[in-house]
Amino acid sequence: MLSPALRTKRYIWRDWLMSYLFLLPALGFFLLFVAYPMLKGIYISFFNHTLNQFEFVGLDNYKFLFHDETFIKSMRNTVLIVLIAVPIVIAFSVFVAMTIYKKSEWLRSLFRGIFYLPAVSSVVSITVVWASIYDPNFGILNYITSFFGMDPIAWLGDPDTALYAIILVLITTSVGQPIILYVASLGNIPASYIEAAQIDRANSGQIFRKIIWPMLMPTNLYIIVITTINSFQVFAIIQLLTSGGPMYETSTVMYGVYEKAFVLGNFGLASAMGVLLAIVIGVISMIQFKFLGSDVEY
Amino acid sequence: MTAIRKPFVLGFVLSMLIMLIAACSSGNNGNSEGNASSGEKPAESNQASETPAEPVEITWWNFPNYQPLDGEVGKYEKEIIAAFNQQYPDIKVNLEMITFDGGPEKLNIAISTNSAPDLIYDAPGRIIDWAKKDLLAPLDDMVTDEVRSDISEALWKQSMVGGKTYMYPINTAPFMMAVNKTVFEKMGKLDLLPLDRPDRTWTFEEYKTALQAVKDNAPDVIPSGFFAKSQAGDQGTRGYITNLGVSRFLNEDYSAVAINTDQAAAALDWIVQAQKDGLIVNGSASLAASDVNDLFLQGKLAFTINYSAVLKAQNKTLKKAEFEEVLLPFPTLDGSEPKLEPYLGGMAIFNNKDEAKIAAAKKLIDFIANDPEWGKKNLIQTGGLSARNSITGLYEDEDYKYSELARKFITDPPTIADGYAEIRTYWFPELQRALLGAATGKEALDAFAEKANEAISKAKAAQ
Repeated sequence: MLSPALRTKRYIWRDWLMSYLFLLPALGFFLLFVAYPMLKGIYISFFNHTLNQFEFVGLDNYKFLFHDETFIKSMRNTVLIVLIAVPIVIAFSVFVAMTIYKKSEWLRSLFRGIFYLPAVSSVVSITVVWASIYDPNFGILNYITSFFGMDPIAWLGDPDTALYAIILVLITTSVGQPIILYVASLGNIPASYIEAAQIDRANSGQIFRKIIWPMLMPTNLYIIVITTINSFQVFAIIQLLTSGGPMYETSTVMYGVYEKAFVLGNFGLASAMGVLLAIVIGVISMIQFKFLGSDVEY
Repeated sequence: MTAIRKPFVLGFVLSMLIMLIAACSSGNNGNSEGNASSGEKPAESNQASETPAEPVEITWWNFPNYQPLDGEVGKYEKEIIAAFNQQYPDIKVNLEMITFDGGPEKLNIAISTNSAPDLIYDAPGRIIDWAKKDLLAPLDDMVTDEVRSDISEALWKQSMVGGKTYMYPINTAPFMMAVNKTVFEKMGKLDLLPLDRPDRTWTFEEYKTALQAVKDNAPDVIPSGFFAKSQAGDQGTRGYITNLGVSRFLNEDYSAVAINTDQAAAALDWIVQAQKDGLIVNGSASLAASDVNDLFLQGKLAFTINYSAVLKAQNKTLKKAEFEEVLLPFPTLDGSEPKLEPYLGGMAIFNNKDEAKIAAAKKLIDFIANDPEWGKKNLIQTGGLSARNSITGLYEDEDYKYSELARKFITDPPTIADGYAEIRTYWFPELQRALLGAATGKEALDAFAEKANEAISKAKAAQ
């Protein structure tokens, strides 16, 4: 006969084991398909790994990248994309969510559906449509601007417009999920808070700043982190629309990784680029958690 | 509870790590076993070649080199394999169709992960690069004296490295321009095209006059195409500029860039100006070769600069408008004979350290290229000319007859230069710089030369 203490201990142990057994499949996949490639990528970044070579070069790949104009330009473009796209996605999503969350259920669903459509559509299909919109010779955008007396613009071929044209496509594909989440979060804000503020004669700006925005912080944190990471990793849109051109003006670190690894077969250099990108994303995410996470209550 | 958990968590994580390492190292062991066994395979293969009944399985990765049968990509290849298996029932061929878009990347990954196919039908640009990296099996033992002497030196030059043959040349066609003849007929300006000349050669000035005529008389049609979005189709922009500027792309021993001449720079400057003047498609810096050919196939472009008999055949089903297209050589500044880079298609075998597979792959190459019944049929299905000089008259079409005549203009392309894969990554960004006014033609070509020469030196040093 086991003592009650031992029985409890056994129960706890069995409970613990069962929990980890249930976690095992997911953990196994994570270790095999995420953690292992990540560690292998770091390892490869210290090698000159091409189609027929694999020799240790220490930090040479990193040293090369810090002096490579194309990489520096790609990093600059990547940061620019994040700095422009993320605030616009957040602001636009909050605006749309604020506009529709008090509407009837039918209308709310309609708008959510419309804005979420790009999120469930193939990026390739969307990008192909945008390519025809931006077409310098027969695109609808130039057709519209011609009514204002403007000469045709090569939206994707002009260094002054190409990156912004990419950012616009990125924004259209990024706003779907934030809008859904903001609408849900706004619905969870107790009406009594807002009514109390209205009784105290708070205007709508004050209500937004003092009540709605702070209450949206958990959602904000998630959306900002996810949108930042997605913006850092934008690839398909660039590959399909500009191939990083013109003159590397739309090249990003992710596109550079693809080009170095799969076009040139230089896996060492590509891995080093990937590691640097991961470091940048990691640091920025930590900063975001530090500054935005402090007010979050779960 | 924490006291209980900590060692368990630690133990669990450690055991997972050990499992992972074991899995990875067992993979490595698998590889080394694979290598070991493949090291032993030559013996097996010798046995296999002695006893042909031993079954062998090979993998053939193919770009859409053959026109689809009944609209189905890969169907024709399956017919080849079925016919091949009637002669060689013990060789199982696994076909995998790859695309021109993603195929090269897929091949790079396969090679770097030791899972390259046994057989590939491709062009010298990639094949020679692999050969230089010692990834391919030499094919000299299957090239007969008859075949050796029946294929021009220029084509062999593109198929060999260090005196060894790594690509078995099969089909070819010179890359050139194409014109929408119907546009000129409708304008009543057919005399502006050099179609009455047997070799259709013409001058830069004549070409300019033709472009101006399109601009003046056919407002819905863009006179000519140009593109610089990416490296795909770069033989078109190379051929265009080298001929307009009567220059070579690389020097004769492939040791340095030769296109940065004043004449070629003037040709590039003209292209930039022609784009501004509406003689060349707007936004060419952001257009790919396929975009320009799409415009041509839609009847919206009078001249396209990256065409060949093979592309003409492959584009048949993609044509969106009714018009007659005719192949033309690139015009030259002084009316001298054009120099046309050839398209060359051929087959190569990856050296996967399995002699039996290499021997089986050679049999398939021989069947595809030289079978009395299927050899000719296969050529026609590619829409190309035979790499062999003696095999002519495959088609009745006038443009094919012209393509055969234009073989005399074939020049040695840069595709076999050391560092070619890197060289071409510097070409289109410099074209973009010129097209966008960030550099003059000379500055752009000089900048390209500097980077490309460095790539050549680096590649030579790495050998």
